[in-house]
Amino acid sequence: MKQGGGTIKTVSLKTPISPQAAEKLTAGDQVEISGRIYCGRDAVLPRLADIAERGSLRELGVDLEGAVIFHTAVSPAGIGPTTSNKVEIEGSMEALSKSGVRLHLGKGALSPDTVAALARNGSLFAITPPLSALFSAKILSSRVAAFPEEGMEAFFELQVDKMPAIIAAAQGRSIFQSDSGKQS
Amino acid sequence: MGAIKRENIAEAAEACLVRAGTSFRPDQARAYERAIAEETNPHARWVLEGVLENARVAARNVAPLCDDSGIPHLIIRLGQEAELPPDWLSQVHQGVAQGLRIMPGRPMAVKGDAIQRIEQSQGLHDDPSAMLPAPAMVEPCKGTELEISVLLLGGGPEIRARTRRIFHKRSAENVFKQAASWTAEEVQSLGCTPTVVALGVGRSHQEASALMLQAMRDGDFDRQDRWERLVTDTINQTGVGPLGLGGSHTCLATFMRIGPQRASGVRIVCMRPGCCFEPRKATVRVDSAAWRFDKPE
Repeated sequence: MKQGGGTIKTVSLKTPISPQAAEKLTAGDQVEISGRIYCGRDAVLPRLADIAERGSLRELGVDLEGAVIFHTAVSPAGIGPTTSNKVEIEGSMEALSKSGVRLHLGKGALSPDTVAALARNGSLFAITPPLSALFSAKILSSRVAAFPEEGMEAFFELQVDKMPAIIAAAQGRSIFQSDSGKQS
Repeated sequence: MGAIKRENIAEAAEACLVRAGTSFRPDQARAYERAIAEETNPHARWVLEGVLENARVAARNVAPLCDDSGIPHLIIRLGQEAELPPDWLSQVHQGVAQGLRIMPGRPMAVKGDAIQRIEQSQGLHDDPSAMLPAPAMVEPCKGTELEISVLLLGGGPEIRARTRRIFHKRSAENVFKQAASWTAEEVQSLGCTPTVVALGVGRSHQEASALMLQAMRDGDFDRQDRWERLVTDTINQTGVGPLGLGGSHTCLATFMRIGPQRASGVRIVCMRPGCCFEPRKATVRVDSAAWRFDKPE
């Protein structure tokens, strides 16, 4: 894609994302994600991380190997990234990466500690604009995968087609000038 | 002249909420067009173009601009000679609720008693209209009309907003530079940049917050005074850019409102770094015959 004063490289990513595919990506790459993605945010990610650390994900019927987790609610109002540096979300990312999550999708700067933790576990952080009206056309199907009692904050499984994003942190490098954005 | 009809009030409030949540105003779209024309960072341009295209699709489909459809905030101007039905404010609230159902708003109101709501232990309401508006602000004005403004405030900016004292040292520049520095500290974590900053300067925290909200209602992207430009330029020097991707458009505009002040070395400032869709707002006027949007859009 060529725009303005430069060229953006766009990479198609099909889920589950292999370790090899993740290794090829660098901060600043533009990607389009297709396939199954999970959606979760403040209410469920700490619960999911706790279950993952206890090794009980299989009982929940959730397979995180190569997974994408989009930090969003899912509702009739659409989908769109919530702030990833909220304590409940950013604090869950390392445990979920250890359990196989290859790409965390949200918005906002992460702390240097989190960027390093993602790198240690072969995981990436990508950001996407909150284009809910446009994203609606990219959702092929949607179902609640776990924690239905959390309503729009439940853990959802979506099939998506060409969800756009930009890699914000990969291999310990971040696009943010300063990785000091953790919520105070 | 006659009495304002209660059904017109509810219908106007409903249309106002939907307009606020699903469309850009012309001055807002022009601000994005200017930014796209000026921006040289390709990632930043990609974001700006996406936000504008999203707004066009949302308006065409009458769909929410953002899945965080926001908390309704109401500012009402009440004509001193307006003849209103006794339940006029209830009619406004009913219209807002109906607007949330049909837009639709995000079903994010928390169930339970006070403590359960804080702890979010009882789940969420399925009905978007359970998201009650914040307490309404009512201002008197001349005439026979009822004017209703609906603003939808998203959650991200609320994490980053501040209301604090600033020691002015008899310099407005000190005050606005300090407020700009607060925003500059927060924009990278906000995520949904470019931000549109709203500032209120008052005598108390409540007053500063109210002035900030009035600044959002009255702000026009095409009209920026010296102090508003100072804040915008200071934030743009951070180079954070749209979505934190770099570039020259971290902040699109600043809207400020300065209220009465008291004898003191301190000013109370409310700073809210709005997201890329804000201010999401619309205004309707209701008279005895009908209702209409404030400006043709």
